[in-house]
Order: sequence, then C-alpha cells, then structure tokens
Amino acid sequence: MSDSDARGKIYDARMMRRLWGYIRPHRMLVSASLVLLFAVSGAQLVQPYLIKRVIDDQIAAGRMDGLGYLALLFLAALLAEFVLRFAQIYVLEQTGQNVVFDLRNESFAHLQRLPSSFFDRNPVGRLMTRLTSDVEALHELFTSGVVMILADLVKLVGIVAILLWMDWRLALVTFTVIPPTLILTWFFRARMRETYRHVRAMLTKLNIELQENVSGMRIVQLFAREREMAESFGETNREHEQAQLRGVRYDSIFSALAELIGSVTLAAIVWAGGWGILEGWVTFGTLVAFIEYAAKFFRPVQELSQRYTVMQAAMAAGERIFDLLDTPVTIRSAAAPTPIHGRLKGEIVFDGVTFGYDPDQPVLHDVSFRIAPGERVGIVGWTGSGKSTLIRLLVRLYDIQAGRILVDGVDIREYELAELRRSIGVVLQDHFLFAGTVENNISLGDSRVTREQVRAAAEAVHVHRLIERLPGGYDENVRERGSNFSTGEKQLFAFARAIAFDPAVLVLDEATASVDPETERRIQQALTTVLSGRTSILIAHRLATVRDADRILVLHHGRLIEQGPHEALLDRPDGIYATLYTLQSA
Amino acid sequence: MRAAVSSRFWEFARPYAPSYALGLLMLLATNGLSLWIPWLLRDAIERLEEGSPLAEIARLALAMAGIAILQALIRTASRLQILGNSRKIAHDVRRRFFAHLLRLDAPFYDVNRTGDVMSRGVNDIRLVQAFFGPAVLNLLNTSIVYVAAVALLLSIDPLLTVVSLTIYPPLMLAVNRASRRVYARSLAVQEQLATISNRAQENISGIQQVKTYVQEEREIAAFRELCAEFRRRNMSMAALRGVMLSLIGIVTGVGTLVVLYVGGRFVISGRIGFGDFVAFNAYLGLLVWPTIAFGWIINTFQRGLGAMERLDEVLVAVPRIDSGFDADGKQETVAEPLAGHAIEIRDLTFTYPGAAAREPALKNLNLKIPGGSRLAVVGPVGSGKSTLASLLARVYDVPSGSITIGGKDLRDLPVRAWRRSLGYVPQEPFMFSRSLRRNVTFGDPDAEAAAIDRAVERAQLLKDLDQFPDGIETVVGERGFTLSGGQRQRATLARAIVVQPSLLILDDALSSLDADTERSVMRGLDELMRKRTAIFITHRPSTLTEMERIVVLDDGRIVEEGSHEELLALGGTYARIFERQKLRQDLEDR
Ligand SMILES: Nc1ncnc2c1ncn2[C@@H]1O[C@H](COP(=O)(O)OP(=O)(O)OP(=O)(O)O)[C@@H](O)[C@H]1O
Ligand SMILES: Nc1ncnc2c1ncn2[C@@H]1O[C@H](COP(=O)(O)OP(=O)(O)OP(=O)(O)O)[C@@H](O)[C@H]1O
Ligand SMILES: [Mg+2]
Ligand SMILES: [Mg+2]
Repeated sequence: MSDSDARGKIYDARMMRRLWGYIRPHRMLVSASLVLLFAVSGAQLVQPYLIKRVIDDQIAAGRMDGLGYLALLFLAALLAEFVLRFAQIYVLEQTGQNVVFDLRNESFAHLQRLPSSFFDRNPVGRLMTRLTSDVEALHELFTSGVVMILADLVKLVGIVAILLWMDWRLALVTFTVIPPTLILTWFFRARMRETYRHVRAMLTKLNIELQENVSGMRIVQLFAREREMAESFGETNREHEQAQLRGVRYDSIFSALAELIGSVTLAAIVWAGGWGILEGWVTFGTLVAFIEYAAKFFRPVQELSQRYTVMQAAMAAGERIFDLLDTPVTIRSAAAPTPIHGRLKGEIVFDGVTFGYDPDQPVLHDVSFRIAPGERVGIVGWTGSGKSTLIRLLVRLYDIQAGRILVDGVDIREYELAELRRSIGVVLQDHFLFAGTVENNISLGDSRVTREQVRAAAEAVHVHRLIERLPGGYDENVRERGSNFSTGEKQLFAFARAIAFDPAVLVLDEATASVDPETERRIQQALTTVLSGRTSILIAHRLATVRDADRILVLHHGRLIEQGPHEALLDRPDGIYATLYTLQSA
Repeated sequence: MRAAVSSRFWEFARPYAPSYALGLLMLLATNGLSLWIPWLLRDAIERLEEGSPLAEIARLALAMAGIAILQALIRTASRLQILGNSRKIAHDVRRRFFAHLLRLDAPFYDVNRTGDVMSRGVNDIRLVQAFFGPAVLNLLNTSIVYVAAVALLLSIDPLLTVVSLTIYPPLMLAVNRASRRVYARSLAVQEQLATISNRAQENISGIQQVKTYVQEEREIAAFRELCAEFRRRNMSMAALRGVMLSLIGIVTGVGTLVVLYVGGRFVISGRIGFGDFVAFNAYLGLLVWPTIAFGWIINTFQRGLGAMERLDEVLVAVPRIDSGFDADGKQETVAEPLAGHAIEIRDLTFTYPGAAAREPALKNLNLKIPGGSRLAVVGPVGSGKSTLASLLARVYDVPSGSITIGGKDLRDLPVRAWRRSLGYVPQEPFMFSRSLRRNVTFGDPDAEAAAIDRAVERAQLLKDLDQFPDGIETVVGERGFTLSGGQRQRATLARAIVVQPSLLILDDALSSLDADTERSVMRGLDELMRKRTAIFITHRPSTLTEMERIVVLDDGRIVEEGSHEELLALGGTYARIFERQKLRQDLEDR
C-alpha cells in the first residue's frame, strides 16, 4: 500500500463493478439525478435557440408582437434550469454522501479487524489518509466525476446536433476548432497531471516531515538538531515550490489558450457567418445563436479534461481504499467457534510454538510449557528474547507459524476472538493512554465497567489516592498519549484498566517496570487478592516482581531453557536465572 | 488581532510587491485587449448590415484573431507573475512556520495537539496561498473588467445599461449571501472532518489496546455516528451550495433576457443598432464571471484571513525558552565542554505551565551536583524525578537563579550549546521511523563509523543487530515500535552516547533491561563517564551501589540524601524502598 498516485486508469472495469456494488442500493437516486441532468441540458440548450428566434422573427422583421411571448419562454427555460439544477445537485450529493458514508465506515471497520502485523507496516498517517483524503477524493467521483462527464457528453452531442440542424456549413466551420482544442487540451492536461502528481508527492513528503518533527520535537530540541531538520524540510519545501511553479506555468498557458481558442472561434464564426449573411444562407439570428452555442460548447470540452483528472485521482484513491479493504483479515474467529461457558478455568498450554514476525527469521523456537489453572507464572529473560512476543501470541495479535496454543484444552484459534480476548486481560509493555479523562482511560467508556469497578481497580494498583488528589479527580483531563502524567502513573492507569475489566487470565508485561519497588510491593499485596483464583502471567526484568510466582519460566533467544520455582532455579548455580538474580542483588 | 494579521500579510507580500505591480499592469493591458473583441464584433455586424464586401469582414475577423493572440500572451505572463507569487509566498510561510515550530518549547506542545498543529501547517497554508494567488488575481481582474465593461455598456446605451444592470445587484447579493452561508456550513463540515480524523488517529495509535480490550465494535459504532453527523452537515451544505450554483448558472441568462426584451425593442424602434445589441450582449456576458467570482473572492479572502489568523497564533507564540535557534543561521553557538562544572539547584519550586491547578511537581528543591560526579535520583511514582531531569535540560523554564551551572545561571547559558553538551535518554524512548543508524547518529550525523560502533557496543545493542534483517540499516516502525522495549531503550541510549556528552541523564533508561544487560551497560558507561557528570534516575537497586550520591525524592521534595551506605544506615525511605537487607538475606540463604 504505497501513497504514490498509481497512474490510475480512468476507467477500470473491475473497480467500476466494485463501486457499483456500493452505488446499487442508491440506484433510484442515481437514475433520478441522470434524468435531471438531461433536463438541465435541455433547458440550457433551448436558450440560444430562443435568441435566434427573437432576432430572426422579431428584430429582423421589425415586429414586437411575439417578443413578450419569447421572453416569457426564455424566462421559463431559466427558471426550469434553476430548479432542475438545484434538484440534480442535491440528489447527486445525497447519493455521493451515502456511498462515501458506507465506504468510510467499512474501511474503518475493516481496519479494526486487521492483524497487528498490518499496523507494524503502515504508519498512522498513511491509514489516516485512507480514511480522510482518499475517501474525499472518491467523493469527487460523484460531484464532478462520472455523472458529470455523462452530462457533458450529452450536452456536447446536443449542441452538435442543433448546430448541424441550424446550418451545417457554419457548423462545420465551427467544428474545425475542435481538433486543435482537443490536442492542446490533452497535451497540457497530460503535463499538468504529471506536475500535479509531483506536487502531491512533494506535499505528502512535506506533511510526513512536519508530522514526524512535531511528534518528536522534544528529541529534536534536546539534541539541538533544529538546523538539520530545518534544512531537510527546506529542501523538500523548495522542491515542492518548484513543482508548484511548474504547475502554475502550465496552468497559466492553458487557461490563456482556452480563452484564445474561444476568441478565434468567434472570429471564424464571424468570418464564415458574415459570408453566409452576405450570400443569404445565414440569418443574423443564426449567427448570434452560433456565437452563444460556441461559448457553451467549449466549456464542456475543456471541463472534460479536468474531469478526467478528477476521475483519475478518484480512481487512484479508490484503488488504495479497495487495497485496504482487500487486505486479508488473517486473524479471525473460527467458522464455528467453541463457546466459552462462564469463566475460563485458565489452563494455558504452549505446544511446540514457533513464530517470527518475518516467518524466515523466527523469534520463538519450539516453545512448550503448561500453566495450570490459577497458577501464577513469571517469565524472565534477556531483553529481546521474545517475552512480549509470547503474550502477543496468546491473545492472537499475531498467529503462530507452527505448534499449538491451547487454553482450557482448546486451540485458541477455535475460540471466538472477542471471547478469547475478553477472557485474557493484558497489560501491554507499550502502555497507551487516550486523550480524555482518567475515568475513561480505565473504563474505556465500556458500559460493562462500572464506576465502582474503576475505583476498586485504582485502589488495587494504588493510584486511587493519587487520582483523588488531582484537581479534577477521575475527571481530570488526560492529554494526547497521556503526556501530562508521569510514566509510572500512566503505567498504573493501564494496569488499573486491565483489572477493571475483570478477566479470567491476567497477563502483565512489565506492568510495573516504571514503578518504584515500594509501590510495587504494595500493589503485589493487593494483587494477591485480585489474582487469587485467576491464572496470571507476569513478565518482568525486576526479579523481585516475579519472585513470589509459583513458577518462573526463563526465556533465552526465543527458547525456553529453564523453569521452576524461585528457590529451585536459584539452586542451579550456572543457571541463567541464578546469574541474573545474583547480578541484580549484588 | 486583525491589525496584527494584516501586517502579517503585508510582511509576506512585501518582497513580491514589484512583481504584483507588474502583474497588475499586464492585467490592465490584457483586459483592454479582450474588451476590444466585442467592439470588433459590433463593427463586423454593422458592416454586414450595410452589405460591405466579405474582405472587410475577413479583415475584422483577422484583427479579432490577432488581438486574441496578443491578449493570450500577456494573459499568460500576468498569471505567471501573480499566481507564481502566491506559490513563493506559500513557500516562505511554510518555511517560517516550520522554523518557528522548531523554536517553540514544551509548554506549547503540551497544550496543542499534533493534529491541530498539522492542520495549520497543511490546510491553513493552502488557504493563505489561495488568498495571495487566485483571490488577488481575480480581484484585480474583476475590478478592471467591471469598470471597463460598464463604461462600454454606458457608451452603447445608458438606459439599457441601467435596466439590465439593476438585475445584477440583487443577484450578486443573493449569490453572496448564499456563498457566505455555504462558507459557514463548510466550516462546520471541516470541523466534523477534523473530529473524525482525531478519532481515527487515536484509534489507530491505540489499536493494540482496542484489540486486547475488544473495543472494536464500540469504536466502529462511535465512528459511524461521527460519519453520520458528517453526512448530515454535508447535506445541509449541499442544499445551500445547490442554490448558489444554480443561481450562478442562470446569471448569464438573466442578463440576456433583459437585453432580449428591452434591447430588442430598442433595436426595433431604432434607438440602437443591431451591432450595438450584439456587442451589448457580449459585454454583459463579460460581467457574468466577475459577478459570480465576487462572492468567491470575498470568501477566499475571508478564509485566507482566518487561516492567517490561525497561523499567526502559532507565529506569535513566544517560547519562554529562547533556544537561540534561528532559521536564517546567524550565530551558531559552539558547545563548550562543561566537564567539571558543578550544578547547583537552589530553592527550586516548579509547577507545570499547563497544570496550574495541580500541586507543584517540585517543591523547594536544594541540591549540589559536583562536576564529574555521579548522582542517582530515586523516589516513588510521580515524585518529580523526570521533572527534575527535564528542568536540567531546560525543557521547561525555571525561576532565575534556581539552577546554576558552574556558577552561571542556567537561564543565561546559550540553550542549544547547553543541550549539545547533554546526553539525554528520556523515560519513554522515541525513535524516528528511519534506519537504526540514522536514529543512533541523530545527535551527530557526522559521527565516525568507529564512534558509532563504540556507542552501539556500549549500549549493548551489538548482539541484537544480527537478529535484524538489515542490521544497523534496518528501518524501525513508527516511534520505534517494531523493536522490543529493551532494544528501543538501548537504541536511545546509544543515541545519547554518540554525542559524547559532558552531562549524561538517564531517566529510568534501563528499566526494560535484564540484570545482565544492565550490568554490561553500566560497565560500558563506566569508562565513558570518567570525568563526566551523570545523573541516573532509577528504580533498580543494582545500579545504586556505584553511585557517589543518591537523593530520594518524595512528592516533589528531597527527603533523603547521601551515599548508598549512609542512606541504608539511615533506615528511612531509601532503605525501605530497596529492601536491601532482604535481598542480601536471600543470597546468604542459598
Ligand atoms: N512488531 C515487530 N516486528 C518485527 N520484529 C519485532 C516486532 N516486535 C518485536 N520484534 C523483534 O522480536 C524479538 C523479540 O521481541 P520481544 O518484544 O518479544 O522481546 P522481549 O523479550 O519482550 O524484550 P524486552 O525485554 O526488551 O521487552 C526482538 O528481536 C524484536 O526486535
Ligand atoms: N506535562 C505535564 N503537565 C502537568 N503535570 C505533569 C506533566 N508531567 C508530569 N506531571 C505531573 O508532575 C508530577 C511529577 O511527574 P514526573 O514525571 O516528574 O514523575 P516521576 O518522578 O518521573 O515519576 P515516574 O517514576 O512515574 O516516572 C506527577 O504528578 C505528574 O502527574
Ligand atoms: Mg518486551
Ligand atoms: Mg519519570
């Protein structure tokens, strides 16, 4: 999924079929809009003809008797145009909005189901673009895309027919301007498209740089890297400016040319029409009507190419959106999931589990262990040894490549994904707070979590007092990513969140790494009650955290190499655990 | 405010004033030529009425074509000037904006959300560009055409002019009113889009939490609601936009209608000639676009004004801490080695600027850190350790005199020079989505290969590199999230080491490391830290024995201070926190 504007084909049958799937439910609206478009064109095209009638029948004849009637007809045509166009715009917009609404929601919903590996590869900014700019670009397909192209074509055909009918010779002279117009238009549009693609690419680059600098500003400033950042940004900015200026050049030439062609056509009509008038095969009315039609004629010819550009952009956007929608949901519930009745007992078995983020480079090798229901297990090991990976697998943020993971004797892939995850509460190592309130960050706004549960959870991790002391208490404002709290506080809020959801199995990945030992000890006392009867897994580097566990697993380079209770492990003098322990206590 | 904003416009436009003037001259010329064409049309029709020979007509037609060509040339040049200026100005604005962002300090970023800053830097600059380009161009064009065309109309027939133009003011007013309300509603639409973006941004950034807490359905429902509101607002705008566009569509027709009905009578009664009639209609036609454009121009000016106001809000924000960074690069201060300089904190009380209602994060702190010494800072969650560290790095400002470096007030030291002599490892490691190498050399892109290797080795990152597909060239995910917690910490540690700091601040930077790696890191730092000052914030007891001095913070105050042994002997908070005896007991039990 790249951001480059794939040189979108303007018309892609496969994609059109897909889009049609979204339009189909609203096809009545689309048809109505089309009918209205034809009607608008009719009301427009009749106007020059009425002018001709006024000139030939009234002015040239020196009469005034029908003038009022013709003027009234003209007025009627205008009013019809006004009303019909309004209706057409409104109906078309309704269709577009409905389709875009569906697409945006579907994309978002799909995003929610995509596996974590997808988010590893795709930065937030890119996914945001899918949900905002790309969907908006697709929206253009409706407001100035397909339907409008159709309308323009209809109008063109109408004008050609009327001109031929009024006077074919004059019509042919007028049409001679079409080929150069088309050629010039396509020539410039092709270049403009190219330029604008470049402009957009540069703009994306600018925005990425801006975003990265804003979110990493603290680091930029602490390392006094402002100059380098400014220089790099300045370079992109300059490149963007150059591309923009190229665009301006084409744009200026093109719009002046368009005007030029209009004037030249006028000159041609005057010349040929004058000839016709002198020879008597053209009337003054026809001449004026031709001038009027010609003006109406060039608009769609020029716009056609602009619409082409819009279409192309919309198509490229559509392609990216469909790409997103086509990204397979590799982690999903089984077709006929095994239901979880009541609460999980909490038996966890890893059986020959092998996994790598890149399947060619496993991070876990053939890991097997069993955790009994209600057992409290600690996992320790060198940094980067695969501890966090282990628990990501347990809640199926990633799926394993070989082996089995069983919970209560059933392969976790057999469960309904939501039920599995609801049963296993995880405090991830990368804690994350949402902008909002403290209360909301613990309950996540979930109605199943009561206020009392939130407070009880806060008590359990010893932040209740701290929260109460805040000016806003539980309603205290939490800024983006929780930037107005200390790291330890954030970690404790995330901890409280897990407890508030009352899961059958609790997994803590370095949940108290940034918490002082004293607070941690108090939490552990409180946890004894909370954890009793639940299976729990504690990952920690601080060995005091896991010392009291029933059993400790030691992971080394993705392999399970030791396990047993604290004392037993200490009794192996060459053991890794004993080594680590000695180091930490020395 | 308005005055400030308009001076801001002038400030950016001034360098391009001559070019704008040139553009204006050319616009006058090109519009003069284009107004000539209907006049020739009138001549041609009069000749035709008189029955002049075709050669006469052909000559006029040729003249029309010739003028058209000349006009097109000048038109192109005029647009190049004026539209080109807008692009250059946008470039300048963007440059200024970004340079200012680099100067703004933490209090600014505390209260302004990333999305908000982004929106100013992206959307608002675009609107300002439209202000300086198309809006100015059309304003000039419109004014010229309006004045000239009305004069020509009057010269053809004053009465007809008055009659046909009376239709325009109300029409113009209606279009204008509609477009203003369209603008108001489009703001509401934009606002909702921003809400949607923010929501999506939070959701995607926290997607792991959403998944593990099974909040997908609730998120989808909430998102759907926002989108429904977005659709509603869009439709409410579409209704108005429909009225406006349809009105615009018939503006030409309305003028023509009047000319047909009234002008037709005038021709028949012989008051004006038929050529006049056609030319009149043509000139009236020239007024259509300016009439329509008028609403758009006002709109664009208004939006540009609003956008500039929002940009100005950022540009006038004055950083409390002047980092001395100056985009135009005048004086670049060189970092003087500060090794050996003592740090002294005197009676420091600090409250976060954005949290005045909360208790001060630090209260009456007094502390001396001799140059070249090692200090550990310990204390419970939220006791102010990170705050102290960030104040030393001057992330936030402190009252003058409360922190001195080698006897000099920290506030009087050149900020960037001071920061350059720091090696800061923040508690929450942030990495840029680039290669590991570029992250490690972030503070010193010119670092020699040997220096990089040494830093990577000291930070114990070397053995992890083999596990990565491209070694040190591996590109990490956003914020470094494709690394393990400990790997990320060590990468940021290496980043701090590369700059050869004279003061190293490690804010709980070893919390995600196992005891063995931690030990190796400490040993690596040992050598590095000879004669340099180091401040270790930690919750780990193992590092503490090597510290010369330890301060214990609690609730923003220093409650204990001394060497490891002294503090243990004291048997106070420190002793309690670190359970030292207990651990030792364990070992002896074995
Ligand atoms: N999302 C990811 N994509 C690719 N590789 C990853 C990803 N997350 C982790 N890794 C790699 O997998 C290995 C194991 O990482 P993991 O996070 O499981 O380690 P850990 O034992 O939790 O370490 P730590 O104690 O430092 O947190 C590391 O080499 C890491 O770089
Ligand atoms: N940007 C901020 N705005 C307002 N208050 C803040 C901000 N950052 C921290 N605080 C508050 O200031 C106090 C001290 O925070 P600090 O981060 O210094 O704690 P700490 O000792 O580093 O804790 P930890 O051990 O959890 O890292 C805390 O109560 C915290 O909530
Ligand atoms: Mg981990
Ligand atoms: Mg801290």
